[in-house]
Amino acid sequence: MSKEPIPICLVHGGAGDIPASRVQAKLNGVKQAAQIGYHHLINNGSALEAVELAVIHMELDPVFNAGYGSVLTTEGTVEMEASVMDGKTLKVGCVTGVVDIMHPISAAIRVMEKTPHNFLGFHGANRFIKQQEFELLKPGALITDQAKEALEHWKEQQKNGGFKGFAKTEIGHNQHERGETIGAVAIDILGNIAVATSTGGITGKLPGRIGDTPLLGCGTYCDNRFGGVSTTGHGETIMKSCLAHDIIKRIDYLGEDAQTATETACNNMTERFFGKGGAITIDKDGNVGISFTSKRMAWAYQKLNTMHYGIEKDDHFEQIVDQNEVDSLVNVAGKSS
Amino acid sequence: MRFLTLISLLTLFSYSFGGNVTIICHGGAGSVAPSRFIGKYRGTVLAVQIGYNILKTNGTSLDAVEAAVRSMEVDEEFNAGYGSVLTSEGKVEMDACIMDGETMKVGAVTGVQNIFHTITLARKVMEKTRYNFLSPEGAMKLAKDEGFQFLPEGTLVTERAKLSLENWKRNQNQSLGEQVGEGGTVGCAAYDINGNLAAATSTGGLTGKMSGRIGDTPIVGGGTYADNKLGALSATGTGEVIMKSVLVYDILKRYEYKQISLQQAAQEACDDMTERYDDDGGVIGLDKDGNVAIGFSSPQMSWAYQNEPENVHYGIEHEISHIYNIAECKSKNCFQ
Repeated sequence: MSKEPIPICLVHGGAGDIPASRVQAKLNGVKQAAQIGYHHLINNGSALEAVELAVIHMELDPVFNAGYGSVLTTEGTVEMEASVMDGKTLKVGCVTGVVDIMHPISAAIRVMEKTPHNFLGFHGANRFIKQQEFELLKPGALITDQAKEALEHWKEQQKNGGFKGFAKTEIGHNQHERGETIGAVAIDILGNIAVATSTGGITGKLPGRIGDTPLLGCGTYCDNRFGGVSTTGHGETIMKSCLAHDIIKRIDYLGEDAQTATETACNNMTERFFGKGGAITIDKDGNVGISFTSKRMAWAYQKLNTMHYGIEKDDHFEQIVDQNEVDSLVNVAGKSS
Repeated sequence: MRFLTLISLLTLFSYSFGGNVTIICHGGAGSVAPSRFIGKYRGTVLAVQIGYNILKTNGTSLDAVEAAVRSMEVDEEFNAGYGSVLTSEGKVEMDACIMDGETMKVGAVTGVQNIFHTITLARKVMEKTRYNFLSPEGAMKLAKDEGFQFLPEGTLVTERAKLSLENWKRNQNQSLGEQVGEGGTVGCAAYDINGNLAAATSTGGLTGKMSGRIGDTPIVGGGTYADNKLGALSATGTGEVIMKSVLVYDILKRYEYKQISLQQAAQEACDDMTERYDDDGGVIGLDKDGNVAIGFSSPQMSWAYQNEPENVHYGIEHEISHIYNIAECKSKNCFQ
């Protein structure tokens, strides 16, 4: 094994009951994001920059529930949340209740860099974003037809009393309550690790609901000494089980490898709380862990010239990456951000 | 059948020996001036007695921690409810979290204004909504729906809080950087007659914080956690580093994975946090059998616990513990 770590950018496009019709679009999106992140890493970019770039790419893609394409609250509005953690400096930035900007992940990074705090929410966060001169979009600009449709379906089901038979913890079981958060974990050539997670929450959430994504230890955690984790799935469940931190503590205190820790923590969570989810992990030696208890979770990472990806339970596809394709992608991403 | 017998035996066991109900509370970690010790003692000792009385009359741990925290929320000695510290704009924005170790249900709120009992609002989130955590907008709407009494703007602002903010602003102007506050977050953990655990934490946050800043208190695993299988904990101190350390969850995982006592786990985790982040804090809690854990890396942390009818144990400095005899202190004022 060489001393210099091989850089990896591992991304997920959300865990949930993803319909078959959306599988291909999800896979395309995560593969592109993983390539963009990897491309940055092999050009001596930092892990922190790579996860931001990867997440930015998915925030722009309407197939993902983050940025453009975020799911809607009961009022039909978008309220986004995001978090980022730098495993080298242990600095963090988290935001919740963010409206009318394309890239909540960049707002989280700004909180990390420009404030003495870790976490800003709602009016305070949006005021800060204004002061930081982010480009403000017109209200409604982030809303897609698909998100509207999902809310309509959700409302119809509410009217029909569709949830009466369900326990409260099982709200994630409804396919219209999409909760497919996105996230990225990267290790750079210096061995630094960073994590970024971004989401629109769940369809039909009450305005003001805060999920697991912006909470350290739940949606995001990173420490160069152990590794980094980004999670996705039913927020209330992930929050109770502190999923990201459980995986890190398994690696730290139990000496488990990244895959075992990720798998065990996800399975324990669903066994105990019923709600489903998934997580991606890179440990300090660059080992990858991927697991989910939901029906599907799109994931991808590039290592050397091979793209690894999957979305079903036992998927692990490999594909040789065409460098020209990567260059054109990076150009597109550069322009739009 | 054998299974049922086991259950009934266990139930019998817990009823016959389960009298050892316990509640422990803290009144904040930080650098507390000696002139303020008495006020902190009085408030924490009162809070645990209120909680203990509930536990002793077969009340739930959840009711006990809520009532104990409520008593500190109305006490201006503490940075929660009345007496909360102020944002840079002079406003009160409170955070709170409550968790039930039996059901693992949780309720948390942030940015709450103009109500006395943030902890009760957190409990409403737990009981009345499908969510764990509500923002200012969501929480205030729930408070309205639930018929909370809204106080006139500024009611929760005390002279002391105003002074702290002035001091903070002066220091900012002289670019002395972040001033370390006195803390004063309040929190409790309780173990009831059925062996159920609960934890609750309530705070006004940090003097001079930006409006909208969310600290560790409402973060599950950061400032508050309860799980009957492991233990219940509440943290206090510099919110930003407690959040980064995911302090109370870390302590429970040390207890579970490293198989050390909760007491040892609590002190180790606080020390490790301070070593790594150069900032301090503390925790109180109970393990799954109701054993007390107190750990802090700050100069002081006020705490008190009661696990017997006659006495309350309390303290604020490292390795110094006092006993408050309830009968004796009825006839004379023990805190003068």
